[in-house]
Amino acid sequence: MKTLIIGLGNPILGDDSIGWVVAEEVRKKVLDKEIEVDTAALGGISLMERLIGYDHVILIDAIETGQFPVGTVNSFPIENLANPMAGHSASTHDTTLMTALQVGRQLQAHLPTTVMVVAVETQITYEFSEDLSPEAAKAAAAAVRQVLDLLAGLPGSTAASSADMTNRTSNLL
Amino acid sequence: MSQRITIDPITRLEGHGKIEIFLDDEGNVENTYFQIPELRGFERFCVGRPVEEMPLLTNRICGVCPEAHHMAGAKAADAVYGIDPPRTAKMLRELLYSAFYCTDHTTHFYALAGPDFVMGPDAPVAERNILGVIHKVGLEIGGKVIQMRKYGHAVVEIIGGRKVHPCTSIPGGLTKGITKEQQKEILEMGKWAVDFAQFSLKLFNDIVLGNKTYLDLIVGDIYTHKTYYMGLVDENNHVNFYDGKVRVVNPDGNEYVKYAPSEYTQHIAEHVEPWTYLKFPYLKNVGWKGFVDGKDSGVYIATPLSRLNAADGMATPLAQEHFEKMYETLGGKPVHQRLATHWARLIELLYAAERWVELASDPEITSDNFHTKPTQTPTEGVGIVEAPRGTLTHHYWTDERGVVTKVNLIVGTTNNYAPMSMSINKAASSLIKKGTVVNEGLLNMVEMAFRAYDPCFGCATHSLPGQMPLEVTLRSSDGEIMDVFKQFIA
Repeated sequence: MKTLIIGLGNPILGDDSIGWVVAEEVRKKVLDKEIEVDTAALGGISLMERLIGYDHVILIDAIETGQFPVGTVNSFPIENLANPMAGHSASTHDTTLMTALQVGRQLQAHLPTTVMVVAVETQITYEFSEDLSPEAAKAAAAAVRQVLDLLAGLPGSTAASSADMTNRTSNLL
Repeated sequence: MSQRITIDPITRLEGHGKIEIFLDDEGNVENTYFQIPELRGFERFCVGRPVEEMPLLTNRICGVCPEAHHMAGAKAADAVYGIDPPRTAKMLRELLYSAFYCTDHTTHFYALAGPDFVMGPDAPVAERNILGVIHKVGLEIGGKVIQMRKYGHAVVEIIGGRKVHPCTSIPGGLTKGITKEQQKEILEMGKWAVDFAQFSLKLFNDIVLGNKTYLDLIVGDIYTHKTYYMGLVDENNHVNFYDGKVRVVNPDGNEYVKYAPSEYTQHIAEHVEPWTYLKFPYLKNVGWKGFVDGKDSGVYIATPLSRLNAADGMATPLAQEHFEKMYETLGGKPVHQRLATHWARLIELLYAAERWVELASDPEITSDNFHTKPTQTPTEGVGIVEAPRGTLTHHYWTDERGVVTKVNLIVGTTNNYAPMSMSINKAASSLIKKGTVVNEGLLNMVEMAFRAYDPCFGCATHSLPGQMPLEVTLRSSDGEIMDVFKQFIA
């Protein structure tokens, strides 16, 4: 079973880089060769293409729901995210990951059976910076823990702890 | 009672990336405002960094066209050091760039523009996407699109060192070359890309041009503007994406000016409006006359259509055939109908694929002369390439150590800010009249006005949800919400 953990975002756009920061921390703690850790500034079709060949994927990203205090970490299956962009304005130059996953699956691509998201609540920033806000920086450790908990809960995992997903998947988006 | 209609792609960011349509008391369109989100502080972020880092830093501006920023950044850095890189280096960069163009233009046609024509502008939004296209035209299409993207990514990775965000271009050339085996692999993929581009043009011919309704939509007045047209051209005035001079033709199609990248400040100025952060570039020597068409207005566009309008032809034979066919079909040069941009984009796709094969076939492409060491004291330099969505200008100033002291960028989408605003206004004014029922299909027709320009808001879509739901709110003059249309919102 191949697993990919991927930190998403723009590494020079303030809190948008939180996915990268968390992924780099996770990289230091994961020793299993079947688990790959990466960072990327991708979305939609390009991201779907990156996920081909893996059985399980954990995405780490900044999120702005407005429903939680900045710095709140939530994890949930990607299906819990609304896919409002069944249309094509998801980005003005792409489609959503979920639509892209549907396309990939129709084309018989080997795509993961589970895609989990670890999301850190942030405020979208328009200011270039390599620094995280104090709230986001504080949330990084919790996000790392959630990623490791998710890994432990995956089928075939040899890790000791198994995360109780019930609370984390409820009440989201 | 006057009304305000807001098409808001990013509902949580007041004042950013949205279209506002104001209706007068009669229910006709009084005015429209199109606001684009702008990332700030990039200049400050770059100051103090070595100029050779710029091709890496600038390709992080946004995730949509990092390859374009990498190329413009590398060319500006070449200029800062006064270096003309060796022929092999220039060919390798252009080869990477041609493959990137194939990926980018393919995505736009099949995922964005295609659904409007294949499914129809009035199709339910849940079907008006790439999945709908695959359902209607066949699974085979989806496979080809993914294959084309895979090949494009592969070439970027081989020459650029990694997928999507290349890292091998430095002042004076590249950090590495390619082997003969890689050349062969790239060449085979390029041949496939030429077939794919021809297939795409045939699809466009059958589905769009073969449908009178769509052809009428393209040639109709709703999406027509007579402006200046900009594009990079080679020494034969043929379209070139990587290098050359910037040529501008007037609304009659005659050359207005042709300038070297370093001369851009003599020709381009930027207009400011109080209702948006983003500036409106215009032709300085014609002058800003407002959001109006015509020879006296400095408004220009920089898109696939403008590149074809600004050139005398295409540098490759198959693309040239289609170039001639397009102008013959649409009544000669220049073409003012903005929806023809989709056709022009596919002609560019074919050109990029042919150029890919040409460059990959050149025996010198595997030479190890891919870098010239900088020896001059660095000062200032400009690099211009054609990004898929418009002319991209990078201008850097450094101190004598090559440390950046100032940066100026004019990105592709920015060039088209004024004409996009005009297109939205005209489409809205034409489609929304007194008594019109504003529905999803109609809003999509307005949206099609700016979709043709392939604008890049990548900067606004990095964080999850990463989606751009459109919400239209009808308000009475006292601000009371009368109705809300939610497009793409669950």
